[in-house]
Amino acid sequence: MQNETTPEDLVVLRTRDFWGALVLITLSAFFLWRTFDIPLWGGNRAGVASTSWYNSAAIVPLGIFSALLILSFVLLSIAIKAGGAKHALSAVGIGWNRAEALRFTTIGIILFFYVAGLVPRVDFVACSGLLITALIFGFYKGRSERMILAAFVVALAGAYAFFTHLPQAQWRAHDDDVVTLILWAALTVWVMMKVKGDRMLRVVPVLAVLAPLILVCAMAFGFRQNVPNRSGLIFSQIEYHYYVTFRPLWRS
Amino acid sequence: MDFVLTQLSGFGGAFYALVADPLTYAYLITSVFLGITFGALPGLTATLAVTILTGFFGNKIPLDYSLIALLGAYVGAIYGGSYPSILLNIPGTAASAATAMDGYPLAKEGRGGEALGLTTTASFIGTLIGTIALLVFVWVLLLLSKNIASPEKALLALFGILLSGTLMSEDLVVKGWIAGLIGLAMAMVGLDPLLSEPRYTFGWSYMLSGFQVVPVLMGAFAVPQIIEGMRHLQVGKMTQVKGRILPNFKSVKRYMPTIARSGVIGTGVGALPGVGEDVAGWVSYGVGKTVSKEGEKFGKGSLEGLLSSETANNACIGGALIPLLVLGIPGSPPAAALMGAFKINNIIPGPTIDPDIILRVVAIMILASFVMFIMGLFTARVFMKILQIPQVVFLPIVMVLTTIGSFSVGGGINDLYLMLGVGFVAYFMNLLKFPIAPLVIGVILGGLFDETFRRSLLISGGDIFVFASRPVASVLLLLNIALIMSQFPLVKRAFGRVFRKVV
Repeated sequence: MQNETTPEDLVVLRTRDFWGALVLITLSAFFLWRTFDIPLWGGNRAGVASTSWYNSAAIVPLGIFSALLILSFVLLSIAIKAGGAKHALSAVGIGWNRAEALRFTTIGIILFFYVAGLVPRVDFVACSGLLITALIFGFYKGRSERMILAAFVVALAGAYAFFTHLPQAQWRAHDDDVVTLILWAALTVWVMMKVKGDRMLRVVPVLAVLAPLILVCAMAFGFRQNVPNRSGLIFSQIEYHYYVTFRPLWRS
Repeated sequence: MDFVLTQLSGFGGAFYALVADPLTYAYLITSVFLGITFGALPGLTATLAVTILTGFFGNKIPLDYSLIALLGAYVGAIYGGSYPSILLNIPGTAASAATAMDGYPLAKEGRGGEALGLTTTASFIGTLIGTIALLVFVWVLLLLSKNIASPEKALLALFGILLSGTLMSEDLVVKGWIAGLIGLAMAMVGLDPLLSEPRYTFGWSYMLSGFQVVPVLMGAFAVPQIIEGMRHLQVGKMTQVKGRILPNFKSVKRYMPTIARSGVIGTGVGALPGVGEDVAGWVSYGVGKTVSKEGEKFGKGSLEGLLSSETANNACIGGALIPLLVLGIPGSPPAAALMGAFKINNIIPGPTIDPDIILRVVAIMILASFVMFIMGLFTARVFMKILQIPQVVFLPIVMVLTTIGSFSVGGGINDLYLMLGVGFVAYFMNLLKFPIAPLVIGVILGGLFDETFRRSLLISGGDIFVFASRPVASVLLLLNIALIMSQFPLVKRAFGRVFRKVV
């Protein structure tokens, strides 16, 4: 395979490997310790008393985490030999890139609040429309202020849904749907104001409405599968009219 | 002879049933189109196409149609990667990286149409070579695999993970092995397969059933790609293609030995567990450069170079399905996604697989390669238009697809949390140049390895020499040891000295 790594890139990579190896050593040591909670030398396993080590459910994980620990030390030694430890505490050493860090952080925030806050609690069409609008607008031109705005809007909608309706029993409430719809509409208006003849941004609202709508309808009515938050503000209406208004037309 | 005739008539029956069903075409045309689109758009890969469709079609439609959709997308995506390679000098998929070496110089010379016509034909013939190899070798291996018991299965699973880690590592081999071990470790979560002992569940009932394959696949393959792809990229100026895109049969005839050789190499590389189309493309390109009379022209617009990589990466598909169907070990990352589709349909690929499924897979592959060929020739300009859409517009929709697909397979929000968690980890692993394919293969094969390893010990009363007690097991054990030893600096240096002396 073609592999073009410059010496500078290699130093950055080995510095990252140094930190990566430390994380791996910690994790494998932790899970090795947890593995000893599983009876190894005898004891009562699933109601069956046994004293043979090879019956144990711990034997394979023990091997895996031991091997992981050894390989992590191998990686650590390679990283140290290549100068990874020397540069470990410098921003240049680990290849810190402010723009890249901002890009990852904003995408991370958007994805986190979408999956953890919005999808379980808010109507799927509304939250996916907001996601599509925010991601395209935020990252299309690679401008940092747009990334921050996009992340802020999704985080606001997600945090509202998450904190006001944390327990599953409250996931059917609709106020978070309304908040998300308002934020989506506001962001769409902002996007349209910033279009300035850009054809790609002009189609964002169409994409943001059609893509989740088609997907959720295909999944729910075409494949008859479970979809997130069936009681959502928009989807519950679609479902009602599908079964009450439209379906009888071709069923009869 | 009777056996061959029975298989041929079985294949004929499966092919006829497929051809006679109108729904086949609906699924096939849609999936091949989607596949080529995914392949053509830089940033979207064949693995992503198959993974997303696994979530979307996996267990929602009968298995036959689901296989049509997934295999159609697989074949289409590997071929589709050649478009940006030739026209933009940006490989659409890793599999077509070698294609750019000669495809782009050809397009700059004004021979883009010829290059596209030839890659379409080469991909078509490559897919057929791989499929025929699949039809032939799968039966031979299935007969052999009847003698495979728990020790061999455990060693094979370990070999698959180690080999995938060794060959897929872009940086250090140790990183590939660590990725494989992380995958194996993830497979240990939940109730153990022999005694139902809970492991690493931390009191969370969701964890009792272990990590589900589809959310892990989505997280490992889709989420990092979405995070990586969401950046501003100026779409390069596309080389103009004049005239019609037609196969040049004279060139095809002239380069038939190259096509045949590349097809065989692609199939062979594909049959290695966990090694994908990108490796096949480069290996075939490298071999072509060495053995060809016009080797010095490789990289400067050589038709032979173009055919070497493009035939091999499509032939790799059939090869990758051989270990998947016979042993239950995916031959490539998209095959790992296919394995996920089999699993959610409660089908266990391996020696006990229903032979009818293999015949249907072969029939689908042949039909998919024809559809790809026709689409490649007649709708190429549509894909050239699609090429101009920035990936920032496509990827948010992919995220929505991934979310709904992952949710509907397991039917739980917890699967989405798992997908996101795996996705963030996989992104950082990519950043540190850890390969992701061994991780996914580790997750898929972890259960098999755990069960067969412990069963071997159980039936032998704890005698570890059970792994060397049978001829096949001994060979596999030696292969595993050799693979590990080959990475020791001392052994590497010794081999290097011997090699230099021989040369």
